[in-house]
Amino acid sequence: MRAQIYILGTITAKNIKLKYKNSVLGFFWSLLTPMVYLGIFTFIFSNAFPDIENYSLYAITALVFWTYFSNSSIQIVNSVISSAGILKSVNVPTIIFPITALMAETFNLILSFVPFGLLMFYFGFSPGLEVLLIIPAVLSFMLFTFGFSIIICALNVFYRDVGILWGTLMPALFYFTPIAYSYEVIPISYQWIVKFNPLFHYVELFRSILYYNEMPSSELILITTVLSLTFFGLGLLIYKRLERGFISNF
Amino acid sequence: MPKETPKNIISLKDIHASFWIHNHGINSVKDYLMSFGLKKPFIRKHVLKGINLEINKGECFGLLGRNGSGKSTLLRVIAGIMPIDKGELSVKGKVAPVLALGVGLEPELSGHENIKIAGVLMGLTKSEIKKCRAFVSEFSELSDDDLKMQVKRYSTGMMLRLSFSIAVSNHPEILIIDETLAVGDQGFQGKCVARINELINGGSTVILVTHSTEEIKKMCDRAACIKDGEIQIVGEVEEVTNYYTNIFK
Repeated sequence: MRAQIYILGTITAKNIKLKYKNSVLGFFWSLLTPMVYLGIFTFIFSNAFPDIENYSLYAITALVFWTYFSNSSIQIVNSVISSAGILKSVNVPTIIFPITALMAETFNLILSFVPFGLLMFYFGFSPGLEVLLIIPAVLSFMLFTFGFSIIICALNVFYRDVGILWGTLMPALFYFTPIAYSYEVIPISYQWIVKFNPLFHYVELFRSILYYNEMPSSELILITTVLSLTFFGLGLLIYKRLERGFISNF
Repeated sequence: MPKETPKNIISLKDIHASFWIHNHGINSVKDYLMSFGLKKPFIRKHVLKGINLEINKGECFGLLGRNGSGKSTLLRVIAGIMPIDKGELSVKGKVAPVLALGVGLEPELSGHENIKIAGVLMGLTKSEIKKCRAFVSEFSELSDDDLKMQVKRYSTGMMLRLSFSIAVSNHPEILIIDETLAVGDQGFQGKCVARINELINGGSTVILVTHSTEEIKKMCDRAACIKDGEIQIVGEVEEVTNYYTNIFK
């Protein structure tokens, strides 16, 4: 067990190092994209949605986690193919690479809580004790992100189109998820469609903790827990099934 | 009295292995969808067709065969990297990373970092990795500046030096070398041969794939020649190398 933790820790550290290699600003690059989005949204949408009180805070509480989701999924999807050289020479479980890709991104998320936290305080964030719920919420979101991404990762080994397709669909998913807007702006007769988007429920979860400063409803907790466990289980199952064929397609 | 160990460290009985490759004409999801599921997206390419082979503990075993005959696949089966479809595989010992060109190194990382990653994946402990690092810098003759450089800037010879040194650092029980030695310069080749002999004397087993019959004659105890996924001949080095040379006549 200790040996496994040592392996995962070392590869995670390698991923973090690789992420910022060859760049001068390093970690700050990872803040730049969400910042730019935040600027654009605040500029464009805060007038379009005057009903949302403190729009910047509203947007950032979802944006941070979307950034985590999209970065993690990109890294996980590529993790196995980009380690093909190693996997062709050493007999190690391939799942090491998606796991460590997620760990590195999670590390980045935690680090980004510092500047984003400061920014949120600047926007008028006043947390109570509920803020601690962010820990189980992030853990649950990790399971979901991991399960979802390893499915695409495994398929991507067989067909590189899958990864490209996912990269193309991601912006669509971004706008389909109520990040820059509140789902209440959607006509009531269409709101049910949004609920098919798993990310919607996580966004609600994070917002209720960080924006509304309240305990998430038990319904919301139940939905996200079920989603996380389902995707995690399904992801592992599909990944294990497809893993045998990886070596033929590196 | 040392514990009695079975003579054959590696035993393959009727091993079949195949690749799942994209069906002809289908190389994207689009084509597959356009065929409405009529075409199979993947077909099986049989690479190993019933391999029977025994390799003894402490021997240097040579493997010959034309390009594409299944040598590398056989090595990967032995290393446990390639799943088998059928047959009985028994490998009693720890296999060092398969030495093949450009494989197993992370190009974006430095030599030092690669030693660490490879070491960790080989299952070494922290102190073993430290020893490995000292061994590599001594054996590979790469300077500290070289080892601090990203591996993508290495020449093929330097990569060989690095990966060979890593693989042989920790007295591997089974060492697999896939057509790599030829890249090294004369000095390093000599060093590799000496190290391989040292390992064999220490009880390691070595499998060597090469196209140089000279190399096989110089180093190996026994050899086999493989063709189209089947073993054509196993036995004395002289006999097998003659057989191999005759293929090309």
